[in-house]
Amino acid sequence: MTMEEEADLAEVMELTPEMKAAVGKPGEPTLYEVTSLGIRTFARAVGYKNPVYFDDDAAKAKGFPAIQAPPGYLGMPVWNPNKTTARQASFESPFKRNLNGGTAVEPLERVFAGDVLEAVTTLTSLEIVPSAAFGQMMIRVSETVYTRKSDRKVVAKTRGTGLSY
Amino acid sequence: MPAAQTWDSVSEGQEFETVEASDSQRLVIWAAASGDFYQIHYDDNFAKNNKLPDIIVHGALKGMWVGKLLDEIAGDDGWVKQWDVSYRGMDIAREDVTIFGKITKKYEQGGEHLVDLEVGVRRKDGSVSTPGTGTVRLKK
Repeated sequence: MTMEEEADLAEVMELTPEMKAAVGKPGEPTLYEVTSLGIRTFARAVGYKNPVYFDDDAAKAKGFPAIQAPPGYLGMPVWNPNKTTARQASFESPFKRNLNGGTAVEPLERVFAGDVLEAVTTLTSLEIVPSAAFGQMMIRVSETVYTRKSDRKVVAKTRGTGLSY
Repeated sequence: MPAAQTWDSVSEGQEFETVEASDSQRLVIWAAASGDFYQIHYDDNFAKNNKLPDIIVHGALKGMWVGKLLDEIAGDDGWVKQWDVSYRGMDIAREDVTIFGKITKKYEQGGEHLVDLEVGVRRKDGSVSTPGTGTVRLKK
């Protein structure tokens, strides 16, 4: 961190009105595609062996329309370099570095290859706390609700904790 | 890999474990699967230039290893109701880690046969980098 950044950081002792306004405000809906390639790559990386996550015939033998996504796999956001989506209400942050602080997953429905999910993320809490390692740290907690476009069922909810310092 | 469990067969205090490798190839596959391309997870020079001893395992991959353990316990007839993990420390790549789960409560609720578990990622030295909890519905 540069001296200028440290000086900026030293001035921020509490949340700004802009930061407070971001809490509770849902971001724009983001589309996530669940593809067979995406499911297989996820399942391979995590180390699954269950054929319903790889093999169309095994999935269909279970009565599924296509291979199933393992719990926690909710597709990938549709990548378009010419269009940006504000997945979360944003604000200017003096903290430059980020860490993943935690993950919570609540699977509610089976998800299959071919599904398209609409994700809406809401910043649910935000605080700046003292940190022995970094002086100050910002803790953001966000919740995301994933809804399948075809039947409007909520298929999963996740919560993520981000640490910025 | 633990076998799928039934609610009648399990008891409070029962433990499950799997060992996961974290070689660089696996982390690259995870990067493709998750879209997390931060170089501290696969570029040795980048990691060392950021004061890390080596590339480190993605937090989210550790979280999904816990999800896999719970899914294997649930089997095709059960369901992972939820899990929640905190990334309290880094895990250096190329070192095996143990994913563990221990049943802390066995109960019925709303017609479902459930178990709560203490879960996490344990390093070779016995420390837990990623503690958490989970709930699984089991076939009776």
